[in-house]
Amino acid sequence: MGAGPGLRLVPSDGPGDVDGLLVRVSRGDRAAFEELYDTLSSSVYGLARRVVRDPTRAEDVTQEVFLEVWRKASRFDAGRGKAKTWVMTIAHRRAVDAVRRSESQRRQDHHGAPDDVSFDEPGDRVIRAEEHGAVRECLETLTDLQLESVRLAYFNGYTYGEVATLLDRPLPTIKTRMRDGLIRLRDCLEGAR
Amino acid sequence: MSTDVHTLSGAYAVDALDPREAAEFEEHLEQCHACREEVAELQHAAALMGAAEAAAAPAALRSRVLDEVERAPQLPPRVASLPSDPVTVPGSVVPLRRRLPARGLLAAAAAVVALAIGGVLVSDTMRDDGVPLAGGVVQVFEADDARSVTVDTSNGGKVRVALSAAEGQMAVDTAQLPDLGPRQVYQLWTVVGDIAQPAGVLDDPKTGASMGLPAEGTKVAITIEPMGGSERPTSAPIVTVDPADV
Repeated sequence: MGAGPGLRLVPSDGPGDVDGLLVRVSRGDRAAFEELYDTLSSSVYGLARRVVRDPTRAEDVTQEVFLEVWRKASRFDAGRGKAKTWVMTIAHRRAVDAVRRSESQRRQDHHGAPDDVSFDEPGDRVIRAEEHGAVRECLETLTDLQLESVRLAYFNGYTYGEVATLLDRPLPTIKTRMRDGLIRLRDCLEGAR
Repeated sequence: MSTDVHTLSGAYAVDALDPREAAEFEEHLEQCHACREEVAELQHAAALMGAAEAAAAPAALRSRVLDEVERAPQLPPRVASLPSDPVTVPGSVVPLRRRLPARGLLAAAAAVVALAIGGVLVSDTMRDDGVPLAGGVVQVFEADDARSVTVDTSNGGKVRVALSAAEGQMAVDTAQLPDLGPRQVYQLWTVVGDIAQPAGVLDDPKTGASMGLPAEGTKVAITIEPMGGSERPTSAPIVTVDPADV
């Protein structure tokens, strides 16, 4: 998979038999683990950097993610989804945990001052991801409220309660927009293949 | 649980629930096949959105990760639902009679992952502590040195429990437990003090279960749980067995 030292392919969303690799990893196959790392590290690191923002912490999160993947490979249940989704779900959870940990630390340091809530510029990064045109196009089919709800939760690590506060909408509305937004994204991506 | 729990699937898929809600929703997921499917699909969509952010990881990170993995043991396959945190059993677990050795807790946790349901071995995988996984139920009952006892359960059934030091196993024969119908299951727990760890769901009580000999001070309890099992007991045990009494 990977090229020589210092020159690593950045895989796009290529098919790569991640599921098969993960099965081998669950049996302690380190070569398969290396291949899995080379296949997914850019996705994991990119997501972590997007969520935690600080590149050094994104590296730490990525390291935690792959360690968890190694340790828990046997717990992956192919009946519940694809291996790549499993890894990305771990990655997202770890990244969000890191954000929330540092946020609560920051709040303690600042006696709870609710300052400097960071919004993304609308559509900045998502729109930039040229190589993932299908995702970008499909995100554009979401309503503004669906898109903001999903993105603030997914990329900023906010709870739906926090999103409701930020967007000044009732809780049930945000909860529902997250769900129907993701459903629309899912349906659109299915149609795109 | 509120009636609109299903609509939490989207928030759950993007990790936007607080820890308590997430735990509640996961309990719900264990009982709701359609919800699990929906969550899987929404997590997949979210994962694609995340993967669209791909950025090359620093080259040095690769060797750090591989070095760390070189030293890290892997978890054995799961044979039943396992929570990550110990939980407290509500109800009537009898307190320990003697102090637990320090390693007891670790051994109890190991016993949880060692449990094989229905005597079906998952593999000969070694656990982190190097102890092989459990053998079958029958071998334990038929071992030359087997000690066994039959205990009444509070719901009008019986369980037979056998220990064999030679086999290094404890087995539970649950064939005489009342049928629970389609909505509930019997679930096994290892209990140390008032901390219960799920040890396996008896999909078919007729086949029983076996596990490595629990550490001293570790008891085994059975509760009735919703289909799919629970992460923590939701009812008082119908029976608690202290291996020392067998």
